Amino acid sequence: MTEVVVDVRELRKTFQVTEREEGLAATLRSFVRRHRKDVNAVAGITFRIDAGEVVGFLGPNGAGKTTTLKMLSGLLHPSAGEASVLGYVPWRRENAYLQRMTLLMGNRTQLVWDIPAADSLRVLQEIYRIPEAEFQGTVKELTELLELEELVHKPVRNLSLGERMKVEFAAGLIHSPRVAFLDEPTIGLDVSMQVRIRRFVAEYNRRTGATILLTSHYMDDVVALCKRVIVIHRGRLLYDGPLADLAERMAPYKVITATLHDGAAASTDLDAYGTVVSREEGRVTLRVDRQVAPERTARLVNDLRERLADISVEDPPIEEVIDRVFTSEQTTVSA
Amino acid sequence: MIRYARLLRLFFRTELQYELEYRLNLILEILQTVVVTATSVGAVLVLFSYTTVLNGWDLGAMLVLLGCFYLVQGFGELVLQPSFEKFMEHVRLGTLDFALLKPASAQFLVTLRHFQVVALAQMALGAIVVAVGLGRIPSVGAFEAIGFPIALVCGFALIYALLLALSTFAFWFVRVDNLMALYWSFMDAGRFPVDVYPGWLRVTLSSAVPIGVAVTVPAQMIAGRLDAIGLGFLVVGSATAFYLASRFWRLGLRSYTGASA
Amino acid sequence: MISTYRALLVAQIQSAAQYRVQSILWMLFSVIRPVIFLAAWVAVANSQGGQIGAYDVRDFAAYYIALSLVSNLATSWNAYEFEFEVRMGRLSPKLLRPLHPIHYSVVENLVWKLTTIIPLSIVLVFIALTFDARFRTTPTHLLLFVPSVLLAGSLAFLSGWVLATLAFWTTRVHAVSTFWDRAAFIFAGQIAPLALLPGPLQAISLALPFGYILGVPAEILRGGVSVTTALELMVGQVFWVVVFYVAFQRVWRVGVRQYSAVGA
Repeated sequence: MTEVVVDVRELRKTFQVTEREEGLAATLRSFVRRHRKDVNAVAGITFRIDAGEVVGFLGPNGAGKTTTLKMLSGLLHPSAGEASVLGYVPWRRENAYLQRMTLLMGNRTQLVWDIPAADSLRVLQEIYRIPEAEFQGTVKELTELLELEELVHKPVRNLSLGERMKVEFAAGLIHSPRVAFLDEPTIGLDVSMQVRIRRFVAEYNRRTGATILLTSHYMDDVVALCKRVIVIHRGRLLYDGPLADLAERMAPYKVITATLHDGAAASTDLDAYGTVVSREEGRVTLRVDRQVAPERTARLVNDLRERLADISVEDPPIEEVIDRVFTSEQTTVSA
Repeated sequence: MIRYARLLRLFFRTELQYELEYRLNLILEILQTVVVTATSVGAVLVLFSYTTVLNGWDLGAMLVLLGCFYLVQGFGELVLQPSFEKFMEHVRLGTLDFALLKPASAQFLVTLRHFQVVALAQMALGAIVVAVGLGRIPSVGAFEAIGFPIALVCGFALIYALLLALSTFAFWFVRVDNLMALYWSFMDAGRFPVDVYPGWLRVTLSSAVPIGVAVTVPAQMIAGRLDAIGLGFLVVGSATAFYLASRFWRLGLRSYTGASA
Repeated sequence: MISTYRALLVAQIQSAAQYRVQSILWMLFSVIRPVIFLAAWVAVANSQGGQIGAYDVRDFAAYYIALSLVSNLATSWNAYEFEFEVRMGRLSPKLLRPLHPIHYSVVENLVWKLTTIIPLSIVLVFIALTFDARFRTTPTHLLLFVPSVLLAGSLAFLSGWVLATLAFWTTRVHAVSTFWDRAAFIFAGQIAPLALLPGPLQAISLALPFGYILGVPAEILRGGVSVTTALELMVGQVFWVVVFYVAFQRVWRVGVRQYSAVGA
């Protein structure tokens, strides 16, 4: 039986936003009477994460992802609901809890700009009270995994964005946390650096068994790292389950791609088989209802025969599925 | 406690290493400090070329006061000014979160985190000016000698408390640079004993802005113008100020994390 | 030229409106130091039976109030900004425009003075009442004050720019300007009226430009010098304005050539 590391029940965060109009008169008026509006950043979400899982936390901007991560890391008090991480209530901010968790934010740095990261790591060693031997071991392992080598000895301001993110990871994981919240860890990085960060996170999870909850705008991150995803939208939970089932649940269609020999795809009428999405040179892409997909595929192969060079039946790209989820109002689906 | 002392040493050493890399800069800055201090002493000498005593302070006592002024100001520039500037930047950029995620006092990690090592030169010069002033004072008793460091630490604590309280407003208003700038320019008034100022200015300086107290009282102490009761008041007063400012900071932090909402 | 200035002024006034609070605060800062030294001199005078040289307590008050007003009207601060722009490589776009950067600076300073003069006057009246200031000003003094403060302003402005232009050659303008400011602290009339500076200091302050920036117009405004002396001192002001004008022209020309050669 696996241990539940993150247990969230009906978590809710309401911000009060003061509305103010432009201009001096309006400013003065607002001193007297403030127009306050409640914004439900997180409107009651419930989920559990087991030890060692890597879970993708998805949602468009403003969905409440960062707010949730901030509550789970103890930076924000919820308005209602309960959460326990490693058995601690995060927002009590007990040292024992802070000692065992980390929050990494891709667009913010905790390193001191003018000094080399190695010095910041020393400071962190002292703050987290890491014994010297353990510290050396962790530094060695992180250096190897992240290919840090000389990076930690250069002033942080001289590092590229990708290099800085690697060092940022080292700083965030120097105390070997049991739970890691990663908020957009690959944002702004080039593709090859994204791949390396991804590889690192996967390997780190495999080696240490740390539980990881990650948000990202790059679906490649999620596909590469997460077997399970939690999707939220407007503060509500839309989906929680295996990534593989997300398409099935959220997008009730398959994509058939047919390549034709004679390059006549442009003229061949295929509307009878499904909705034509795109038509290039020799290739046609069709959208077909999930239930009838096998039957339509069989008919297509049968009808076109030797004109057919290649055919594939796939789930729609994950970006498309996610996009569909967010643009259409759906009710909660839970696996 | 020991851990925090070790952290403080670590913070300081890191910054020292960094500043030592820019040696020419360091030398120029020390030179500037020397010029600033020398011209301030010059100003006092000009005043004393027309009198032997200013509101009961003779030249020796006045130099002690000026030395204390640079000791207190130097302390402010050594750690408080750089740390509080960074603190406001953290609030603005949202990087304050990282300090709150650490298993250690956030107030400590934020307010004593950054050092401007060159301010040590300022403090050293302040100490020299105090010593020169003391040379003109007949004798310093044991009570004065023990009381002086106590009074000075209380002065530091008062300045710290004030800055902490002022910067706490950053949790609500984000931009409080003007407030801080106001503080630093009031600091200038500490170069003369607080009792030379007319009523309204003295009240502002010594109650709302305890700079007058932070500088004048240690100087009074070593110049033999303060009794045990006065010292007691100072100790209790600065401890209270420190406690209240810390409470206020925690209140600001609670509002920042939404605990009080 | 006039229409250019009018356009610049309008734009600057609009943007200054956003910095109201800041400019009033900075105005207050500029008053703090004169008040500090005023209080010290009052204490010194009181210990000597109320009179130091030609000054009694009320004269000191008038002098330092005049000094605050002059320092607000005559001193300018854009030079530091210029140094920053050079260091950060932000000067190039400004050099591309068909107007010398100094004109932007003139306008910014003018607007700043316009926006702070009223709150400053209120503060100064308040100080005058607290210290019971006595001005010995005659209409002739007032008449002379106008050109004198204009000369002082030009002198401060030009000398500030010469210092800032050093940024073309060195990155350590900050150190240079600290030394300049401290010299001004001693010699310009901040720590004492020029007449009260002990022998050699007084001679130095009138041989160097510092005294002509603050002390001279302040004394003229409070009526502390005779009309003849005032005129003599104003000749000194004219001399230094010419010196710094010529110096600025040369330094600027050579500096810009150097700057574009480096291609920063």
